[in-house]
Amino acid sequence: MNLWNPVRIFLSSAVFSFRAQFGWLYPPMWLTMKFVMSLSQMAFFVFVGQFLITTGQAPAGIIAYIAVGNAIMMLSWNTVFSVINITSNDKWDGTLPLLLATPAHRLPIFVGRAMMHVLDGMLSVAIAFAFAIFLFGVNFGNADALALLIVVFMTAFTMSGFGLLIGGFSFHFRNPLVFANIFTYILLIFCGVNFPIQALPQPLQLVSYTIPLTYGVDAGRKAIAGATLLDIAPLLAQVLIVGVISILLGYIFFRWFEHVARKTGQIEAV
Amino acid sequence: MPQPLRVIYSAFRLAMLHWMADPQWVIPNVIAPFVFTFVALTLFKEASGPFGLYAVLGGGMMGMWGNTLYSSGFAIEFEKWQGTLEEVVAAPSNLLHVIAGRSVSNALFGLTNMVAILLIAAFVFRVPLGIVNPFLFGLSMILTLLSVSALGLIFASAFVLTRSAQVFTNGLEFPIYVVSGSMFPIALLPFWVHPVAYILGPTWGVDAIRIAAGQESASLTFWLDLVGQRNGFLAFWLDIGVMLLITLAYVGIAIFLFKKVETKSRRDGTLVEA
Repeated sequence: MNLWNPVRIFLSSAVFSFRAQFGWLYPPMWLTMKFVMSLSQMAFFVFVGQFLITTGQAPAGIIAYIAVGNAIMMLSWNTVFSVINITSNDKWDGTLPLLLATPAHRLPIFVGRAMMHVLDGMLSVAIAFAFAIFLFGVNFGNADALALLIVVFMTAFTMSGFGLLIGGFSFHFRNPLVFANIFTYILLIFCGVNFPIQALPQPLQLVSYTIPLTYGVDAGRKAIAGATLLDIAPLLAQVLIVGVISILLGYIFFRWFEHVARKTGQIEAV
Repeated sequence: MPQPLRVIYSAFRLAMLHWMADPQWVIPNVIAPFVFTFVALTLFKEASGPFGLYAVLGGGMMGMWGNTLYSSGFAIEFEKWQGTLEEVVAAPSNLLHVIAGRSVSNALFGLTNMVAILLIAAFVFRVPLGIVNPFLFGLSMILTLLSVSALGLIFASAFVLTRSAQVFTNGLEFPIYVVSGSMFPIALLPFWVHPVAYILGPTWGVDAIRIAAGQESASLTFWLDLVGQRNGFLAFWLDIGVMLLITLAYVGIAIFLFKKVETKSRRDGTLVEA
């Protein structure tokens, strides 16, 4: 067996799935949207928090809490929304049957498709952190840079697993875009982005614990407050466990729906 | 039936048929406002005062805006995917009338979004919705919806020329939520943002809606300074008046832009590439 082959498939899958989005999106627009989305989503919730502060109903610390939560959540637009939409775009572009007709092993194709979005997600978080520091005065003075970098990378990587899981699931449905919208936005509710998950009703908290972002946001806040890699290791382990389970489940879904689509001739059910 | 009305009605009917054929598309329109309202209500849970109603009315406003923006952007993108945009532009009917027909249908869905958020807030979050003046509340809601639709017309004209309409749609959603002060007073925004807020119809619309609901205290500060803290009724009509003027300006700009866009796309022949 040629060991280079899976790596080649993984890399080409990563590059092509990322480049494909520029078929409908101008690169300058892609960069502009990165800045606009990061700033406006964070600003919206920060001003909601500010509203509470001005009426004396919330501590000043709520600004940093919300800004950091939204900054880390930004990676979900790449690793969840965009990753789910890969299947949707394949359907619209007519490339899905070609992809499924190739003899290439599915695992490197499947995981590779999300990889550039992981790096893209990390860039989104970096931009959002800059806004948090310079516009909303969040103090990064005590931050452990290495711990924060690893938190952001692992959260992006494992959230892409979550994106692949939902993407694999939505493979069977006509419009994965609908799933992309739902599953990206509900992260704002479940993952402790704007308020602690303990504020949710007990049954909903169970959902929070199945999403890697919940642990990633928590670990990110701790790293910014000065926690070392060792301090946040248990959280990172939880991120990894939930993320790997997501990727495996996503892969199983992907293979199962591929099988069903081939059998029923509904590969391009659009 | 006069020709413009016939075109508007046909576009309206087609948009309704599209929606009924694939109703799942309503989900992307309502999911963001619903989630934002949920988050705001959770943040406001421990707060005393009329925060709940503030969040709900803001969420409803966002629902209307999200629907209009999404629909105007996605309608153009959808036509391009289906390969029907060229036929729509090439037809002798005025493109503005076609888009206006769709906007009316979008406005109708937008209204259902607002009502859905109000109902969810009332029955799921148990937010007391004590609307002080239901007539003025309904009137301000409908007029705001028209203003939002008129703003959507301007965006729709630009969306014809770009292949990134969907990206614009996603990118413009949040900034308007922020700038229109849908869920917090615009006084909290940096001063240089205020002029942008004041040229948006929804800013005045949501203010009128809040006054009609009985939240004079949440109104634009300078209005109440101008007309007196106790004269919410006058502030309401000032809001409506300014919003109508802005809406008329939107319609004028949209007519101008559609003419420009139509001429440019016919002359350059780049409609399909865009």
